[in-house]
Amino acid sequence: MLGFSSAPADGASSTGDLVPFSSEARATAVCPLHHGLKPPISRLSISWARGNSLRVSFFRRPSGDDSEGDEFGGKVLEVRLSGGDGDGDMSDAQFRRIAYGSVSPFALLQSRRNSAASLSKISSPYHVEWWEYVMEYSKDINSLLGDPKSLTSPAIEDPKAVLQKAEEPICLKAAWDVMEIFYADKQSQSWLPERLVDWLAAYDGLLSSTQATIHSQLVSFQKELVALQVIEDSPKYWEVLSAALAVGWLDVVVKMLRLHGSYQLDQIGNRETENGLVEAVAVLISKMPRLRPELEAGRLGECYRAKPDFVKAWEKWRAHITKLDCSAYWVRCDHNQTREGLRNMLQIMLGNTNSLCTATCHWMELYIAHFLYIRPFTAGLESMYSLAQKCMQLKPMTISHRLIRLLLGIIGDNTEVVLAECSRAFGPWMVAHAIELLASGSDQAETLLREEHYNLGGISIEELHRLVYAQVLSSDALTWQIAPIYLTSCIKQGMGLLEILLSKQPVQDVQILLKVIEICRLYELDSVSSNIMKIAGVYHWKHGRKGSGVFWLQQARDEVRLNRIAQQLFDFVGQSISDESFKQWEGLIELLGAESKTAGGLEFLHKYRDFKKFLKQVNNGKTTDAARQAVESLISLMKNPSTPRQFWLPILYDSLKLLSWQERPLLNVSETNLLLNKLQELSMAKLRPDFIEANLPPQALGSVRLALATNLGRAIVEE
Amino acid sequence: MAVIGTAFPDPPQIHRIPQSKYVDAVRWLPQFSAFDRFVVLALFDSSSDSPSSIEIHSLDTQAVTLSPQSTWAPPSRVSSLKTSQTRGRKPLIAAGTVSGSLHLLLANSVDASLESEFSVSEEELHVGRVSCVDVMEGGGECVSVGEDGRVNLASVTGSELSFRRFFDSQGLVSYTSAKWASPAEFVTGGYGFSLQWWDQRKPGGAASQLKGNWARGMSGIVQSIDIHPSRKHTCLAGGSLGTVFAWDLRWQQQPIILSGIGGGEDGTHPACESEVWEVQYDRHTNSTNTGNISSSRVLPAMICSEDGILAVVGQDAEPIELLAEPCAINSFDIDRENPSDVICSLEWESIVLLTRP
Repeated sequence: MLGFSSAPADGASSTGDLVPFSSEARATAVCPLHHGLKPPISRLSISWARGNSLRVSFFRRPSGDDSEGDEFGGKVLEVRLSGGDGDGDMSDAQFRRIAYGSVSPFALLQSRRNSAASLSKISSPYHVEWWEYVMEYSKDINSLLGDPKSLTSPAIEDPKAVLQKAEEPICLKAAWDVMEIFYADKQSQSWLPERLVDWLAAYDGLLSSTQATIHSQLVSFQKELVALQVIEDSPKYWEVLSAALAVGWLDVVVKMLRLHGSYQLDQIGNRETENGLVEAVAVLISKMPRLRPELEAGRLGECYRAKPDFVKAWEKWRAHITKLDCSAYWVRCDHNQTREGLRNMLQIMLGNTNSLCTATCHWMELYIAHFLYIRPFTAGLESMYSLAQKCMQLKPMTISHRLIRLLLGIIGDNTEVVLAECSRAFGPWMVAHAIELLASGSDQAETLLREEHYNLGGISIEELHRLVYAQVLSSDALTWQIAPIYLTSCIKQGMGLLEILLSKQPVQDVQILLKVIEICRLYELDSVSSNIMKIAGVYHWKHGRKGSGVFWLQQARDEVRLNRIAQQLFDFVGQSISDESFKQWEGLIELLGAESKTAGGLEFLHKYRDFKKFLKQVNNGKTTDAARQAVESLISLMKNPSTPRQFWLPILYDSLKLLSWQERPLLNVSETNLLLNKLQELSMAKLRPDFIEANLPPQALGSVRLALATNLGRAIVEE
Repeated sequence: MAVIGTAFPDPPQIHRIPQSKYVDAVRWLPQFSAFDRFVVLALFDSSSDSPSSIEIHSLDTQAVTLSPQSTWAPPSRVSSLKTSQTRGRKPLIAAGTVSGSLHLLLANSVDASLESEFSVSEEELHVGRVSCVDVMEGGGECVSVGEDGRVNLASVTGSELSFRRFFDSQGLVSYTSAKWASPAEFVTGGYGFSLQWWDQRKPGGAASQLKGNWARGMSGIVQSIDIHPSRKHTCLAGGSLGTVFAWDLRWQQQPIILSGIGGGEDGTHPACESEVWEVQYDRHTNSTNTGNISSSRVLPAMICSEDGILAVVGQDAEPIELLAEPCAINSFDIDRENPSDVICSLEWESIVLLTRP
């Protein structure tokens, strides 16, 4: 036990503590709860509820007088401890939207895996097209995480807007993108460096939360731009130009170059040479050869699919740059900043390490610059990793961003690190879904993720993370319904946990109950669903909703409970059923149906109702036909073993008129004997202690016996 | 560009409008001008301080966006939501809650702002949840039914909402749905696929009821009822196991099954297999005229279901699927003035607007 000390409690104890503890140091958070109960509160209980919330139960001391009229005996509150630790840039609603949206792609991929596995039991399910499925999945998920280009561009373009306005991207998307680039998109493996250029272009802004980036430089320059009179005089202009060039944002660079003062109509005459140089550089930039199949609209450069073509173009392009660099025109350029700025840009394009190093803000940017201007052919994780190491030495980062840690894990080819980073920085959703990408990356990764691990209790890493994610989903009242999709993809533990999840849902709300039963139907969990229906039945029964209670017990085919509640129902009937109140019973009796299979002992009620109906007709019209029907119904009631004994005498007493029918005896000898036997049985049962006395006049038994005896006599005579 | 003369109808236009709260129900607000369209949403968000709300949103049909106009906070979650019009053409919203209260909201007929609110508090009206409310055309009277087996009729008299208990089954029968058939009659539905026909002129019990156990041992719950103004003798109902059936008062013994159990004998497929949450007669009939259909035939009906289907089912006809979602469609509403437009609420916190050509 920590924190206990043997020192006497005289002040010296503070030195003897095993764990230093100061009560003053920590500010306590006070959160007032409105429970709405009148004091005194006699008891308080706190326990964990679902997810990140506490369940606080208040109990009032039962007060003797009910004059106040408040019937609350207590109240239960759930207190949500707000989780500000998750992905900071995402609201709960946004997370749920992603969770909902990822269900279909995930389920589709699982079903494709299953059908692929069943099609080719012998060969690996990962035939040629498998990665295409994974890619489709990845693209579907990616589109959920936001589309940075979704904002419509304004009709009239602002010439001074160098940065395009776009929806703020989220880290989750950046992380998914980088995983997709390395693991899923097999087609782009040959132009991986260019994919990373695009990646940084899209997400460099995210990294600026922890450090200076080219993106943040651009953003601040954009603000200054409006106030600048002579743009080319500003050293920041040239700084930002070379920075943007270094990471390959060619369209931004060219657009900014064209803001150069020498383009202005009134100056073009005397700054002809200067303008020519600026334009020459701009043209060179826009002609940069790129080793990629295509570029998005608006992006600059010339694409080359095949390496030899690219090499040729690249050499030619560099030759042009060198030629321009050695040109005599530079001497004739009067504007100092322009000359120096442009020549520095040429150095960047020629891959001068020093220029690149100065232009970029952190190693990732330098890394991208290397891909663009020094080593466009970098391929293979090993060389990529050693290049990253080199860049890190040249431009170390003070704080490592979670995206950078993830990227390092990926190029370091370390599946465990990638998994750990995903889990630590991006949460259970990311891990559960990104494992599909990871596993398709390499055979080793797949083995690691899909084989059973002894230390995980015999389940695979993949299953573990799916279970964790399913747990997160289960803890929210809005997302629990999608947890089954993930649980059923877990071979070992999934079904067990699914049963628990379903059994834990509240049965009070009929809509939720029906949704649970529907899930049971989908996954063929008949026993779970019948258990839940039993619980619902008992719940409704206890709350006085007899009809719903009976319905659910019938649905669950729970004859034991139906028989048990039948007894209670019969007691209730005995008191309340009269000719007038039948309207009330009508609905329930219809619900019970006539088949004993579904109603248990309750089928009696159905027959009893029919009997009463016939009897009523007899009392109204007195036709012999109706009387005959009533007698049939009486006999079938008395023959039926499920007719409770307490009803025998009332039924017989009700039928006195039938037993002493004036025109002719309605019961034959054997029928009369049956009823006499029942009467005999009743007299014997009267001696037993559990006998329930019917609410009838004392002479009832006697008059029934007399009527039966008379009828017997008349029947014998007639036969 | 529509191709004239094709056998297949053009697919409807589908717009998804994500919400950040659970949508309990969605309804069109009866329209007063051709330009303004309003919808009423019953929303629920457990993380908020006032978790439930009824919101009126205006719909921009060009950009397909909803923007909130006014909001009202009921005391608890809304379990049933209906809209109608008063005789003075004022839009009317009726809502029942899980705690058993009933609320009538009157909206302004120009900008749909809420003007007045009438309530009957919980405990008085129902014990526990109100299963269903329905407002008579013209807003005269509102029927509310509950699991507690009470059938109440409420109407606004003077400045308050007064109600009378029309029937109380003392919990022996629970009612799950209700619909007016005429100013004097209404129909309720409940467990065991039961339907009850009530007549205000014959108090003390249901005037007529559908025999239980008609579904050959299968049983379920009636979730929703609709009655067509031109076929007041026929009651359309939908519920468990994908069941959609019509009960014609003139042929009481056996209902006509449109989809689900017992259906499919004539070769048609059921539209869905799970709980049907809502049924409404489909007023959008582009090829056939309602008047031409023999009065013994059931008019086409639209349904939405737990397994994410929005479809139109007809007697002896293959269902026409309008929407197949990966999650439940919990409610829908066909616009009275523009029956080609349907709005539905999905389990996954979103609204879908469907416009049929």
